[in-house]
Order: sequence, then structure tokens, then C-alpha cells
Amino acid sequence: MSEGQLTTDAKPWADPNATPFLQIKNITKKFGAFVAVENVSLDIYKGEIFCLLGGSGCGKSTLLRMLAGFETPTSGQIIVDGQDQAGIPPYARPTNMMFQSYALFPHMTVEKNIAYGLKRDGLPKNEIATRVTEMLSLVQMDQFAARKPHQLSGGQRQRVALARALVKKPKLLMLDEPLGALDKKLREETQFELIKIQESLGVTFVVVTHDQEEAMTLSSRIGVMTAGEIIQTGTPHEIYEYPQSRFVADFIGSVNMFEGRVIEDGKDHVVISSKELGGDIYVPHGISGVEGQKMAVAVRPEKVRISRTDLGEMRNKVSGTIDEIAYMGNSSVFQVRLDSGKRVRVSQSNLTRDDDDALRWDDKVWVGWADDAGVVVAS
Amino acid sequence: MSMFAHTETNARSRLPGGKALGGLLQRLGLGGRGLVIAIPTLWLLLFFLIPFLVVAKISLSEAAIARPPYLPIWEWDDGLLNINLNFGNYLFLLEDPLYLSAYLESIKIAGISTLIALLIGYPMAYLIARSPENQRNILLMLVVLPFWTSFLLRVYAWIGFLKANGIINNFLLWTGIIDEPLIMLQTDFAVYVGIVYSYLPFMILPLYANLVKLDQSYIEASADLGARPVTTFLTVTLPLSASGIIAGCMLVFIPAVGEFVIPALLGGPDTLMIGRVLWDEFFSNRDWPIASAVAIVMLFVLVIPIMMLRKAQAVEEGAS
Ligand SMILES: Nc1ncnc2c1ncn2[C@@H]1O[C@H](COP(=O)(O)OP(=O)(O)OP(=O)(O)O)[C@@H](O)[C@H]1O
Ligand SMILES: [Mg+2]
Repeated sequence: MSEGQLTTDAKPWADPNATPFLQIKNITKKFGAFVAVENVSLDIYKGEIFCLLGGSGCGKSTLLRMLAGFETPTSGQIIVDGQDQAGIPPYARPTNMMFQSYALFPHMTVEKNIAYGLKRDGLPKNEIATRVTEMLSLVQMDQFAARKPHQLSGGQRQRVALARALVKKPKLLMLDEPLGALDKKLREETQFELIKIQESLGVTFVVVTHDQEEAMTLSSRIGVMTAGEIIQTGTPHEIYEYPQSRFVADFIGSVNMFEGRVIEDGKDHVVISSKELGGDIYVPHGISGVEGQKMAVAVRPEKVRISRTDLGEMRNKVSGTIDEIAYMGNSSVFQVRLDSGKRVRVSQSNLTRDDDDALRWDDKVWVGWADDAGVVVAS
Repeated sequence: MSMFAHTETNARSRLPGGKALGGLLQRLGLGGRGLVIAIPTLWLLLFFLIPFLVVAKISLSEAAIARPPYLPIWEWDDGLLNINLNFGNYLFLLEDPLYLSAYLESIKIAGISTLIALLIGYPMAYLIARSPENQRNILLMLVVLPFWTSFLLRVYAWIGFLKANGIINNFLLWTGIIDEPLIMLQTDFAVYVGIVYSYLPFMILPLYANLVKLDQSYIEASADLGARPVTTFLTVTLPLSASGIIAGCMLVFIPAVGEFVIPALLGGPDTLMIGRVLWDEFFSNRDWPIASAVAIVMLFVLVIPIMMLRKAQAVEEGAS
């Protein structure tokens, strides 16, 4: 995976003796009767890039705004570096925030915008100048130093906002959708830069995003939010491979979901009969259920095998017809219509450039997956 | 900018004649382009340009004991057109120090009043703009409520407050803070009170319109970057409301310079404002040409603030 995980080999969150840098304890925020953030508790450690991932309106910005001090929590506690933040005004907090709307001062040039925070700290002029110049080149905005925000494109504004938040080298930096307006290439570059900055400055990042790919590449850990609650926290790997709920499985990457009922609860496995699949699913480890209990199994498309011939020994397999093929360059995605009518998504790497024996539309095929490829999720 | 936009802002801002006239003057040559907006143009022509030309004409004629009390500036005599332009009126304004000091005094009084109105109006506008949305309209209503009674009556009412046995003095005597009534009426102080009171809404409204648009996230960003509220106000709020400040100040300053009623009713004999001089020339001395010259000069004095106002309005419109 990417650089992001390099720094986190230590996995401070797995160490019971480590003290979190940022502690969020049972934070709730209500706007009138509407609960925007509900009983969120999080521990974030020094040097992490923590991503808050969730759909629009799930309360990500509200949570961040409480950390920055713009909203007062209805209940709960926020502790940064051992210090309770309650009652500390925004200007005195050791945090900086990049706003979702950028909030660049329209009457100041790019340069002045970036220098603003440093001036407030009373740094000497020449130091301000060097740091601003550094930042400008980091976000590749050198030529635009003298422009006003309204003379910039959306992506350029975003870069200035990022620079303005970064230049103060705060202990905790919060980024609200930092890269949304950038094109793919610049976004990847900036992600890489963010990780580099994080490594060199030791800044702790909390990044809000609704782009799951961004969350995967950037973060040491991800908190998945929905409807004001954090429903799962974990490394990108954990979130992707071991989603605990249907929502998480669905939200991160694509997934095939099969519902069924337990028909056999063995010592080291369960067997689930799924009408949707038109067959039985064998799940080897870790779970148990009473017979007749409803369960759902999630299988990632890249873990499904597809073949014109029978898949032999494989326990989880069914037959179907290829409905659709999408060529993506590095891989191809097949939609297979099972005999039961359900459609299954299968993705396969394109290992060779031309394949005379390639699968075609309307081919009769077998699809199947290894015993441990499926994850049982709460439905 | 086109004639179109220009006339439109004039019509909207409902300024005393001076502004529209000044603006029109600059663009006299552009009249042809106004066809599309014939009605406002016609309106301005009828009520501003023609009276202005009449006044300009009178200012160039010679006073006479006649009816009207000035001589015509041209005569048709046996196939000979005699044009007599009497610039003496203007020269006279320069000779008699009374006029210069009246202009300066007017500008001073209007300037100080504007500053006081700004100091009172800015916090009010700010608080209204920051109050909950459902309360804003009520507060704005209160600001414009005084307009529902006559301006003259409201100025008269201040006499009741300020005179020797008026409400303020009686109250202060009753509390024992003073032993003798303060002399407030017929002083410059009363004039300041009257002007600030009367024109305060003109300060508050443009400031409010500006401040209510101010994006809260700029304030938050400033705080986030370490600025205390006072610094945020000085470095972010104030510069971003500059166009509102200019518009408000000009809307108070321009009419205040030519104010007649307030100095006449509240001011003392030595409150020398140009509006009063003008009145005296017209009605007491019946010297229409001098009075007209005074009016024309006043207009040119106001050209600079009028242009500043127009620029501020253009900025406002560009921003919204
Ligand atoms: N000041 C407020 N008053 C009332 N409701 C609010 C307020 N601020 C936010 N909300 C509501 O709280 C919920 C969460 O808002 P928030 O801005 O945190 O969402 P978000 O997760 O950042 O979404 P997005 O990805 O679209 O930015 C939304 O339903 C929003 O309407
Ligand atoms: Mg948001």
C-alpha cells in the first residue's frame, strides 16, 4: 500500500499504554432537536492521518468544527495533548483547520492569506517570508502569490487554503475535504505531499473526506461515519477486508452481498443457505450462529473467480451467464447473472495484453470464491 | 460603465438632487445612449438637469430690483445678440470670507457628524446583521420607523429635549447632577445631535446590507489562524465592509453639507452652514444670483464624495 502506512507500523492504537494525542469522549452535538453528531468517541494518536469517511450530511464537518472550537458540543469532552478544550476559544487552540469552503480572505493576496496566521504569532518578517515562499512552492502556487482569491480556479484556491492551514505547523491539523476540487493527478501528488509533510513535521492530521479511495491511500486509520455516528474504526486494511456492517462493506469499495440463513453450525464453520445465490455458502472461521438465523455474506469482486469450466474443489460456487463486461484497462469487470437471477460483480486483472480465449458476453460461466474470501456482516 | 447602470444606481439610491445631478453632469454628452431607459432619463432631465441649468443661468446673471430679481443674461437687440455673463457672483464668493468659512464650517460639521454617525451606526448595523434572522427585520423596521413622521417635526421635537427647561435639563436638574440648566439649544452641539439623529438610518442601512453578506467563515478562519476578536475585526471585518462604510458615510455627508433645517432650528446665530447662507441670500437679501452661485459651488464641492459613493456602490454590486 502507500507511504501512509509506513509511519504507522508502530500501531499506537493497538498499544494499551499509549496516550492518545486527541481524545474525543462521548461527543454529541444537537441543533435543536436534530442530532448532527451522536455519542462519538475516538482516540487519535500522534502522527496519525486519521480519515473521517462518510456520506454527505453525516456530521463530519460538525465534528471537525467542534474540534476547532466553532461549535460547542452539547455533551462530551475533547482533549488535545492532555488539555481539555472546553472553554478554550478557537484562536487559542493548538489546532488549525482547512475549511471546506476554503474561507480565503477575499481582500488579501495569496501571499497575505498564507502569511496571516504567522503574523498573528508575531514571527519576524523574514521568517514569515521564507515560510510563505516554502509553502507556495510546496503547493505549486509560486506564480500566483500576488493574486487575489477571486482570480484563482477552484483547485488553486484549495491549494492556497491548504497552504494557509499547513504553514503554521500546528500540532493538530484538520482538513475538511482537502482535495475534492483537484484533478486526479494533482490529487495524488498532493496526497503524497500530505503524507510527506506529516512525516517530516510530525503533525497529526484529521482529514474529512467522502472519497473512499482517498481515505484508503492517505490514512493510518479510518473512521466510517453515518448519521452522526462512527460505526467502525480501523486501518484501511481492516475496514476493507473486515467490514463489520453492511453499510461499511457497501460504502468502501464495491461488494457482492448474499443474504441467507444458517443451516449448519459446525465447530469451525457455518453453512449459510442463500436463496439469492441459489446455493450454500461455507464460512470457515470466527463466527457462530444458531440455525435459522439470518446472515449476510459480503464478497469483494476481486476475490470472486470466474471460469468457463467448473471450479472443481471450490465449495462456494454457482453458475451463470455473463451479462456485461466493462474493460477498465488494468482490470475487467464482469456482471454475471446467476441462474437465481441475482447479479454478481467479478473483477479480474488483465494479465496479458491480448487474450484470444477471453470471456465474452453471454458465455456460460462458473463463479466462485475461496472459503475465507467472504465476510459475514451484520445486516 | 454604461449610462444604463449609472442612471439605475441613481434612481435606486434616492439621493438628494445633488448626487444625480453631479453624476449626470459628467455624462451630459452620453444622453443619446439613454433611449432604452427613456423614462428615468426624462425624469432626471426634468427634475435635476433643467433646474440645475436654470440655477446655473441665474448664477451668471446680475441682481436687480425687479421681478424676477435678476437681469436676463441675453438680449435680442436689433439683430444683435447680447450675452452678459456675470462671473462677478463667483468672484464675490471669493472676496467675502463669509462664504469660504461657511463652506469650511459646513464640511467640518458634516464631516464630524458623519464620523459620529459611523461610530454609532457601525455597532448597530453589526449587531442587527448578527442577530437571529427572524429578529433582523423587526430591528431594521425600528431603524426606519422615524421616517414615518415628518423630518421637520422630528427636528422640532429635539428643541423640546434640548431647551433650557427641556426634558434633558429637567431630568438632570431633578437628579441633582447639575444645578443650572445646560445651554444646549442653539449651539453647534445641538446641530451635531440633530444631524446624527436624522441621518443615522442612512449610515446603518448600507452598513447592514454589507455586513449581513459577510461570510461567517472568514471570521472563523481568522480566529482559527490565531487572531483574537479585535484583530479579526480590524484585519478582516473592517476591510471587508469598507464599501459599506464609504456608502454610509457619503449618504450622511452629502446631504449634511447642504443641510438647512437642522442648523436653522437647532443651531445658534454663529452656526454658519452653507444651507443657511443660501437661504438668507435667497429670501432675506433676495439676491438670487449670489444664492445660485453658492448652490453651484456647493455642488462642485460635493462632486468628489459623490464619485466615492458611486464607486462604493459599484463595488457593492460587483460583490453581490
Ligand atoms: N448550524 C446548523 N444548524 C442546524 N443544522 C446543522 C447546522 N450545521 C450542520 N447542520 C446539519 O447537521 C448535519 C451534518 O452536517 P455536516 O456539515 O457536519 O455534514 P458533513 O458530513 O460535513 O457533510 P458534507 O460531506 O456534505 O460536507 C447536516 O444534516 C446539517 O444539515
Ligand atoms: Mg462537510
